[in-house]
Amino acid sequence: MDRPAIAVRGLRKSYGADEVLHGIDFEVQPGEVFGLLGPNGAGKTTAIEILEGYRERSAGEVSVLGVDPGRPTRAWREQVGLVLQESQLEPLLTVRETLSLFATFYASPRSVDETIELVGLTDGRDRRVGTLSGGQRRRLDVAVGLIGDPHLLFLDEPTTGFDPSARRSAWNMIDGLRSLGTTIFLTTHYMEEAQYLADRVAILRDGEVAALGRPDELGSRETVIRYRRPGTGEIVTLRTTDPQRTLYELTSWAEREHVELDGLEATRPTLENVFLELTGGGHE
Amino acid sequence: MSDLQLAVTQARYALLTSFRTPRTLVFGMAFPVVLLVMFNSIFTNGAQDSVTFAGGTIDASAYFTASLSAYAIALSTFTSLAIGLTAQRESGQLKRLRGTPVPAWTFVAGQVMRSAAVAFLVVAVLLATGVIFFGVHLEAERMVGFVLYVALGAVVFSALGIAVTAYTSTVDSASAITPFVTVMLSFISGVFISVDQLPNWLEAVGKVFPLYHVAEGLQRCVLSGVGGTGLTGNNLAVLALWGVAGVWVATRRFRWEP
Repeated sequence: MDRPAIAVRGLRKSYGADEVLHGIDFEVQPGEVFGLLGPNGAGKTTAIEILEGYRERSAGEVSVLGVDPGRPTRAWREQVGLVLQESQLEPLLTVRETLSLFATFYASPRSVDETIELVGLTDGRDRRVGTLSGGQRRRLDVAVGLIGDPHLLFLDEPTTGFDPSARRSAWNMIDGLRSLGTTIFLTTHYMEEAQYLADRVAILRDGEVAALGRPDELGSRETVIRYRRPGTGEIVTLRTTDPQRTLYELTSWAEREHVELDGLEATRPTLENVFLELTGGGHE
Repeated sequence: MSDLQLAVTQARYALLTSFRTPRTLVFGMAFPVVLLVMFNSIFTNGAQDSVTFAGGTIDASAYFTASLSAYAIALSTFTSLAIGLTAQRESGQLKRLRGTPVPAWTFVAGQVMRSAAVAFLVVAVLLATGVIFFGVHLEAERMVGFVLYVALGAVVFSALGIAVTAYTSTVDSASAITPFVTVMLSFISGVFISVDQLPNWLEAVGKVFPLYHVAEGLQRCVLSGVGGTGLTGNNLAVLALWGVAGVWVATRRFRWEP
């Protein structure tokens, strides 16, 4: 496949007079795990629902697996797996029954038992959906998203509301999907999640793409060096793109002057810092 | 898998869900049977044991067996579809389904098949109860008409149940409105009270609505010693009109998201 899995150009969306997406652009390559980051209300869900074929766009060009999702076809739906933001499956069916039912909707589905194993629900396969824990239910959502053996999987905030250990184990599961070669498009407002899972991220702020790139690129533009000023004790912050040289100069100076640099540290800002800087720290 | 098979498969899973829902089992299935036992115990005592109907008289036990069959059909199709679909829309199940390749009509057809299957099951239990415990006499040739009325009633009330979801925005409103409508219509359609006890104007109102015609049709089919199928052009015409209206609204106004 030469063409990108997803191509978005100049995408705009208005609800009445209120424009929530002001012309966004990005591409997702086949096999890539792409993260759409942003604080609540930045337009992530609107954007992903346009790509999923649920919402109509107001302007711009969108292509998902070569098809305009504004006019979803049955053949296109065969290729696209969805994990929506909230869990919505029949609580009275068991895990196996749910997947067996959804499997009938697709021309060439994955095996039900293999899919249950893939998401780590083997022990709960005969339990009713209504009795599963939040984490288990999310695993089932992912299994339902995968049952049609899609080329592209959408994950809308896959771990929102999880405790840290459930989140960690969900990440391991999603990370494991890379080996299937499935292209994954995920939205999240957890920076750590994007950093852990995504090959590339776009940060959405007020309906615009504020940054786009690999998480480590976005996170490492500058190194921050901090120490306490000898004598006064106030904290000094230096930003540098050449930390080796800056640190050498700083420590040489301290040696010459025979002063102690209390609290000396050099940190590469994480994606979280970049995100907070870009979005004005206003998330959650 | 063909699209028709897809519809049947979805009906099968929906039926499985129905049998696991206490609300369906109690109100859709057990309730009409309990009502039948109560009505036949209360109204078939002494002088009240026959009803003036269609120019003749009919045993009250047979009359109420047919009446409560009509009630059960409305309950398991109109009421249960309206509440069930509104709940599935509210919880996002319909939206999730919309994101799969499954054609929308197969889902709706599956729901209708499930409701019709439940309706036939409850009616069968009602008939058996009537025959075994209350001496209702059924004539084989009349059963063709009876089955036709059950099928027609199930289809018409299913269409209306789906149509009404366009106006019930939440499960709460669906659960308040649709059982109320069913019960009110039951009072003026010769279901809970025989038509010969209704004032003329109230019967005239009842005749506008489909429940009256399903009930009347089923009652005709349990009249003994009359012959024929029990089908009348009047009943069929009114039911057809409501069916067409239901389908028309359902196909235009059905929403997949709250």
